[in-house]
Amino acid sequence: MTADAQIPEIDLVALEEAPDDAVKKSLGIGFWISVAWLVLIVVISLLAPVLPLADPEKIGLGSKFQSPGGEGWFGFDSNGRDVFSRVIWGSRVSLTVGFIAVVAGLLIGGPLGMMAGYFRGWVDRVVSFAFLILLSFPALILALLIVNSVETRSLRVVALTLGVLAIAPVGRLARANTIVFAEREFVQAARVVGAKNTRILTRELLPNVLIPMGALALLGVAILIVAEGGLAFLGLSVEEGATWGKMILEGSSPGALKDGPHVAMFPIGIMFLTVLALNYAGDKVREFFDVRETAF
Amino acid sequence: MSEPQLSVRDLTVRFPTTRGVVQALNGVNFDLEKGQMLGIVGESGSGKSVTAKTLMNLLPRTAEIEGDVIFEGRDVRKLAADGTQHFWGVEMTMVFQDPMTSLNPVKKCGEQIAETLRYHLGRTKKEAIEEAVDLLGQVGLPEPAKRVDQYPHELSGGLRQRVVIAMALACQPSLLIADEPTTAVDVTVQRHILNLLDRLREERGMSMILITHDLGVARGRCDDIAVMYAGRIVERSATETLFSDSRHPYTDALLRSIPRIDQPSHTRLEPIPGRPPELINPPVRCAYSPRCRFAQPDCLSAIPDVHGVRGMHEFACFHPANTDRGREALAANVAAGKTAAGLPIAGYAGGGG
Amino acid sequence: MAGTGHAPLRDDPNVLLAVRDLEVEFPVGRGAVVHAVSGISFDVAEGETLGIVGESGCGKSTVAKSIIRLNEIKAGSVDYQGHDLAKLEGEPLRKVRPDLQMIFQDPISSLNPRRKIRDVISEGLAVWGDEHGTWSQDRIEELMLAVGIDPKFGDRRPHQFSGGQCQRIGIARALALDPKVMICDEPVSALDVSVQAQVLNLLEDMKQRYGLTLLFISHDLSVVKNVSDRIIVMYLGKACEIGDADELYENPRHPYTRALLASIPEPAPTVDPSDGDIDGELPSPINPPKGCRFNTRCQHTTDICFTDEPKMQRVGELDHYFACHHPVEISVGL
Repeated sequence: MTADAQIPEIDLVALEEAPDDAVKKSLGIGFWISVAWLVLIVVISLLAPVLPLADPEKIGLGSKFQSPGGEGWFGFDSNGRDVFSRVIWGSRVSLTVGFIAVVAGLLIGGPLGMMAGYFRGWVDRVVSFAFLILLSFPALILALLIVNSVETRSLRVVALTLGVLAIAPVGRLARANTIVFAEREFVQAARVVGAKNTRILTRELLPNVLIPMGALALLGVAILIVAEGGLAFLGLSVEEGATWGKMILEGSSPGALKDGPHVAMFPIGIMFLTVLALNYAGDKVREFFDVRETAF
Repeated sequence: MSEPQLSVRDLTVRFPTTRGVVQALNGVNFDLEKGQMLGIVGESGSGKSVTAKTLMNLLPRTAEIEGDVIFEGRDVRKLAADGTQHFWGVEMTMVFQDPMTSLNPVKKCGEQIAETLRYHLGRTKKEAIEEAVDLLGQVGLPEPAKRVDQYPHELSGGLRQRVVIAMALACQPSLLIADEPTTAVDVTVQRHILNLLDRLREERGMSMILITHDLGVARGRCDDIAVMYAGRIVERSATETLFSDSRHPYTDALLRSIPRIDQPSHTRLEPIPGRPPELINPPVRCAYSPRCRFAQPDCLSAIPDVHGVRGMHEFACFHPANTDRGREALAANVAAGKTAAGLPIAGYAGGGG
Repeated sequence: MAGTGHAPLRDDPNVLLAVRDLEVEFPVGRGAVVHAVSGISFDVAEGETLGIVGESGCGKSTVAKSIIRLNEIKAGSVDYQGHDLAKLEGEPLRKVRPDLQMIFQDPISSLNPRRKIRDVISEGLAVWGDEHGTWSQDRIEELMLAVGIDPKFGDRRPHQFSGGQCQRIGIARALALDPKVMICDEPVSALDVSVQAQVLNLLEDMKQRYGLTLLFISHDLSVVKNVSDRIIVMYLGKACEIGDADELYENPRHPYTRALLASIPEPAPTVDPSDGDIDGELPSPINPPKGCRFNTRCQHTTDICFTDEPKMQRVGELDHYFACHHPVEISVGL
C-alpha cells in the first residue's frame, strides 16, 4: 500500500484545480425581463377582482370606439366597454386556459410518453399509436367536436379541450427523451443495484426528461393562448366574459379596425408580449439546464 | 542537411470559449524530413489532433492561430488565408479516426473517390471511376471492381478505413496525416491498416504523420516520435531512443504505467497520479509538474525550454529522467517524502536510473 | 473454434459462478438474429479474476451483461450460490442483484448527469434500506475515500469530474452493496492512458480489500493479462481458449489466440509474426460459419474444420483448454 495510498490525496489536489464553479452560467437580462412581464400579468390578473377596475361587461361606459385617454387607458370598444378592464379580465381566461391545458398535457402525456419510452414493447406500441391518432386527427375538428358536444362552453371545457390537444406533443417529447436516456448506462447501473422500475423512472429518468418538458411547457402555454384566440374566431371560446381571443375577434371587424383600431391592438399587443416572454423564457430555461456532460 | 519538407515553428492555437481561453497549443516546433514517418503521441487534450487540424486548415474560424507552418517552401497559413484550392487533399491530406465521418453515407465508395479526382485533377467521369478501382485495389480491397458500387455501410470498419485511405491517396499527396487511423478498429485489422500505410509510404515516398494515443502503435512504425502534453511537445527523439532512454518524466512515467504483455499477470502497475491539466488559463509552470515525481521549485515558476540536441533528442524539462540532474531531483523528493508541488512520493524506483 | 463442451468447468467447491451453454441472440428484424453468444461454458472461483478478451463482436460484453441479466438469455444456465440466474425473474432476481455489481465502460454515461455523486454512490443503499449495509453519511464517506474521491465533493455532479474520477465514483457505487462478484466491462478503455493504471490498481486493491471475485472484460490483451488469474479468449460468440493467464500467453494453442498476440502493436514474444497473417474480415454473426467459426480466417484449416465443431480439450494436466482441430504444437515445455 505505498503507491495506492497516495492516490486519494493526489486526486484531491487535482480536484481543487477544477475551475467549474468559477464559471456561473447566467440566464441573461432578457430572461428576467420576460419573467418580470409574466409575473406582472399573472399578478394583475389574479388581483383583478380587488383592483379598482371598471366593470368589463358594462355597456356604455364610454362612447363607441372612444380613443385611449384619461377615462379609459386603452379606450372603449364598439359597445362602449372599457378595453383596459376587459384586457385584464380577459387575461384571467387566457392564462387559465393556457396553464390548465398545458398541465393536463404534462400530467397525462408526460407519464404515458415516459412509460412508452422506458418499457418499449407493447406499451410503446399502444401509447405511440394513441399519440399518432391524436396527432393525425385535425386539431381543429377535434376541438370542434369536443366543444360542440357539451352544453355550455365553460372555461373548464375549453381548457380541457386544448389540454387533449397538448397530450400528444408533450407525450412524444417525453417518449423521445426517455428513449435517449434509457439507453444510457446509468439506467442499467440503477437496475444492477436493484432499483425497481418506478424508482428508475422517477429518480433517474424524470430529472433528465423534466427540463426539456418544462421548456416545452412554457412554449406550450404560449401556443395555447394563441389557440384560444383561434377558437374564439370560430365562435367556440368560453361563452361568458371577455377573453383575449374574443376581444381580438371583436376588434378586427372591418368597421372596428377602421374606427377603433385600439380595440384589437391592445389585446394583440399584450398577447404578443406575453407569448414572446413565454417563448424566450422557455428557451433560456432549456439552455440554462443543458448540462455539460463533461467538464474536460 | 536539406530543407525539411514540413517545418512548424512556435505554433500556438487558442480557442475563446465561454469558460475562458483554451490554450490548445503553446508553441509547437517540429520538422519533418521527406519520406519520414513522425509519430505524435499524447492523450486527449494534449494537442495532437489540434496540431493535425491546424496543418490541414480544419480549425473553426474562432481559433486564434500564431506561428509558422512551412511546407515545401510555402507558407501554409498564407495558403489558407488566400483560399488556395487543390492544396489540402492534393499535396497534404488526412485520414481520420472514424471512417464514417469522412465518407458520405448516401454515395457509393467509387463515386466518392472519383469526385476527389474530378475536382482536384479534372479527370473525366469515366477516367475517375477507373482510377478509383485501381486505387481500391492498391489499398488491398478485395474485388475492387465490385466495391466501387457499394455504399460505405455495406463494408466493414476495416474496409471502410481502406476506402478512406484510397481517397486520401487519390491525388498522390506528398504528406499524409493519419489521425488515430486504427483506434476504431480491432487489433487484427489494425495490423493490416498499419502495414498498408507503411507499404504505401515506401512505395510512394510519402511523408507521414501518425497521430495516436498508443505508444505501442507509434513504436512499431515511426522513425521519430514526438510526445505531447498540454499543448506542447515535451519530448522528441528517434523512436528507439525514446523507449530506451527517455528524458521527460512524463514519457518515462507513461512507459512505466502501461501494462506490458511480457510481464507476468498481477504485476503491480506504477500509475501516473492525478489527471491531465486544464487548458484554460494555465499557470506559468511546467504543465506536468503537479503529477511529476521529479518536480523541483524551479518547475513551478517557469515553463521549461527545449533542452537536448536539436533535431536529435529534444525535451522540455529542467530535471530530466535518466540524467544526474533528474536523479538528484528524485532523491531530494524521496528524502522529503513529497515533491515541490506537494505530491507525496515513496519508494518510487523509476526514472532515476 | 468452437468452444462447446464442459471440459473447462472445474469440479471445485470454490466455484462461485458457473455458466453452462450460455446462448444469447438479438433479433435484428425480418426474422434474422445475431448469434451474439452461442454456447459458452466457464466458471469463476471465489476470489479469482477471470478475464474475457476478444475483438468487437465476439460476445464478451454480452456474456457479462447476460450474467447480471441486462440481456435476455436464450438458453443455458448461470449457477450462482444455488440460483440459476438465467431463470430468475422479478423480485427473486432483484433480490440477488446486490451480490453481482458492474463497472461500465463509459464512465460519463454511467453516471446520471443530474444527480449529486453522493446520491449516485448511495443509490444501492437507498434502494435496499438496511438489507445490504446501512445508509449513513459515514458509510458514503468511507466509500468515497476508498476510491480516492474527497468526500467534500459529494455534492458535486458528475460533469465536474474527469473521466478517471467518474470511473472511481462508478466503482464506489458498485462497492456500496458489498457485492461478491464485480463485473468490469472495459473499465479503462475510455480513459486516458495516463489514468488507466490508477483505475487498474484501484480495482486490484478493492478486490483484495473487499474479497471480490472479478469478471474483467477487455479488448486489450496486455490489460487483461495484467489483472487476470484465468483468461477466456472469445471469437464470434464462442470460446477458443481458456486457461491460466500466464500459461495461456506463454503457450497459446489456438490459432486465433496466436493471431491476436501477434497482431498487437508490440507482439508477444511467444508467437511468430506470421501468426498474425489472418484475413481482416470478420464473418457476419447473423450467419456464422459452420463447423469451426474461425474457419474463414484460419491458416490451418482442413475439411474437418468446415464440418465439425471442435470441442474443448485440456492441455495435459494444466489449467489450459482449447477448442481447435489443429492446435499449434508447442514443442518446448511439454
